Amino acid sequence: MFTRLLQQSFRRDWRRKLLAIFTIVLATTLMTALASLSIDVGDKMAREMKAYGSNIKVVPKSDSIPLTIGGVNYNPLSGRDYLNEADLPKIKDIFWRNNITGLTPFLTLPVTLGSAEDDHVPLIGTYFHKLMPVEGFDNFFTGVTVTHPFWQVTGTWPEEDSLDQVLVGETLAERQGLKPGATLTLTSAEGKSRNVTVSGIVEASEEEAGGIVAPLALAQDLAGLSGKVGSVSVSALTIPENSLSRKARSDPSSLDAQQYDTWYCSAYVSAIVHQIEEALPNASARPIWQVADSEGVVIGKIQLLMAVVALAAFASSAMAISSLLNTSVMERSREIGLMKALGASEAAILSLFLGEAVIIGIIGGLIGAALGAGLSQIIGLTVFGATITFPGVVVLVVVIASILIALAGSVLPSRTIAALAPVETLYGRR
Amino acid sequence: MLQASSDELEEFETDSESQTRPVIETRGLTKRFGTVTALDHIDLTIRAGEFVSVMGPSGSGKTTFLNLISCLDTPTEGSYLLDGIDVSTFTEKERAVMRRERIGLVFQQFHLIPYLNAQENVMLAQHYHSVVDAEGATRALERVGLADRAHHLPSQLSGGEQQRVCIARALINEPSLILADEPTGNLDAKNEHLVMELFSELHREGRVIVLITHNPELGRRTDRTIWFEHGRRVRRASEAA
Repeated sequence: MFTRLLQQSFRRDWRRKLLAIFTIVLATTLMTALASLSIDVGDKMAREMKAYGSNIKVVPKSDSIPLTIGGVNYNPLSGRDYLNEADLPKIKDIFWRNNITGLTPFLTLPVTLGSAEDDHVPLIGTYFHKLMPVEGFDNFFTGVTVTHPFWQVTGTWPEEDSLDQVLVGETLAERQGLKPGATLTLTSAEGKSRNVTVSGIVEASEEEAGGIVAPLALAQDLAGLSGKVGSVSVSALTIPENSLSRKARSDPSSLDAQQYDTWYCSAYVSAIVHQIEEALPNASARPIWQVADSEGVVIGKIQLLMAVVALAAFASSAMAISSLLNTSVMERSREIGLMKALGASEAAILSLFLGEAVIIGIIGGLIGAALGAGLSQIIGLTVFGATITFPGVVVLVVVIASILIALAGSVLPSRTIAALAPVETLYGRR
Repeated sequence: MLQASSDELEEFETDSESQTRPVIETRGLTKRFGTVTALDHIDLTIRAGEFVSVMGPSGSGKTTFLNLISCLDTPTEGSYLLDGIDVSTFTEKERAVMRRERIGLVFQQFHLIPYLNAQENVMLAQHYHSVVDAEGATRALERVGLADRAHHLPSQLSGGEQQRVCIARALINEPSLILADEPTGNLDAKNEHLVMELFSELHREGRVIVLITHNPELGRRTDRTIWFEHGRRVRRASEAA
């Protein structure tokens, strides 16, 4: 009989029910799209933010204060500590290995061009697009094309590991009148010389603009530091910082065991830095806070904005449902009066209206989840140029949320009418 | 027409009725709506097996009285014992239990759910009482001569038929007390006769029936008539005869 009452109520009052379902659909479509975007936007935004550079720098632990004048590091190469190039794959083997999107080694040394002894320019050895052997990652290509995507080259990138091709920074190229195809003789402080060809002109940061960018192997050869690197820039996908990560940043030993586990198993930049240092004991990893912080702040703000919009959608649809059901309940007051006269309890009357609300919520929630999944893909393709990963749990959460919207909207009018004395409703005194 | 004191009426009831157990007992039963007194200190006893009519002009308090004895409303003052249980202080939840367990209600306006067919309207009372039983509902409709109308919607039934569905619904849970508010008020003479025959039959089966009516003819078909005027119970000369 309960089912029959529900069924007939929908059949008889289908326009209003349809309107209620439509209201829920609108809200849940928005909520689904926002929820799936919110879950995936962290990764999507982090990848977008990677265009502005890497966010972690790894240097030898005992590296002295750099002595850099005019972009040239005058620290004597002898006596300095270096990282082993062979250890670099370990960075891609930490707990958050999947979040390490790229790592690029650098070895910088002063060189002279041709015969002019005072014409010291920095030569920066690095990877461009190198296949790094890492267990579990068959095609892990890394280098400046991954970690420094803003670098622009006119001409061609040098071949990886070549000893006779270089890129010239745009300022240096302009000053020296160098163009792709030009040849240079590079001489290091150690007295080693190499004849190289300019394969391209690079537009990068200020440091590279006045120098030469070469394959790491060439820099190591000129410096006489085979298998050594001076620093490593790492790009890692991170989550926004919070009070726990800030506490860990200042002193990891201040965390208790549970806090430590939570922090360690979350992709905070400070946790990733900590894990890199565990992997490379003689290295010191430091987040580049400007990049890491701005990522966290932007992502955090976007997620907050989405939460506010979702909450507004929830509240406004609950109010719309309340208004719709209020009219419906009042119109059915005599029917409710009769039910009460026949001995229906307040709970029995409430269950009828709340049952209707649950059905409206389920139908509206499922339709809204399907439309929201589609909308999130459209937004993903439009804004990020990629599809959004749609977690199945969102459907469950959204259907539950839409049932809650319908219940929130119907509980007040239902309670009001269920609480009235039967004689008031039966004879239309209310 | 005489204004009757409680003692006089009590004496009259004792004289005129056999000493069966009281089903309805009211003492000083009063209902006020703001400053208006709709029912003023009603003392009354209706005993098992009685078929009683309540008569009086419009605004005399008949329907208010029925609402109180059917547990649809609560008195402002006084007590009401139903089958010896004082229900005047009951909560709505407790009164709902009394209604569904002991009382069958028949309304002038029928109050059928328009989107449920005759059988389902009867089953609705079962639903709130215990368990729905379609066969039981069909038997109740057979009893009121509507077996062939079981699957008709109220809009497809005549006024008399709708009232008989209403009676079938009142009967379905086997109540000991049937309260009817102007049950023939919207019916023609033929249907009025049919409905009154049904009530007489139910009375012969031993049920207590209280019938509110304007029609003196119907009043004469009951065991006794109780008169109300201006919210008070009055005694008419004919009543004592």
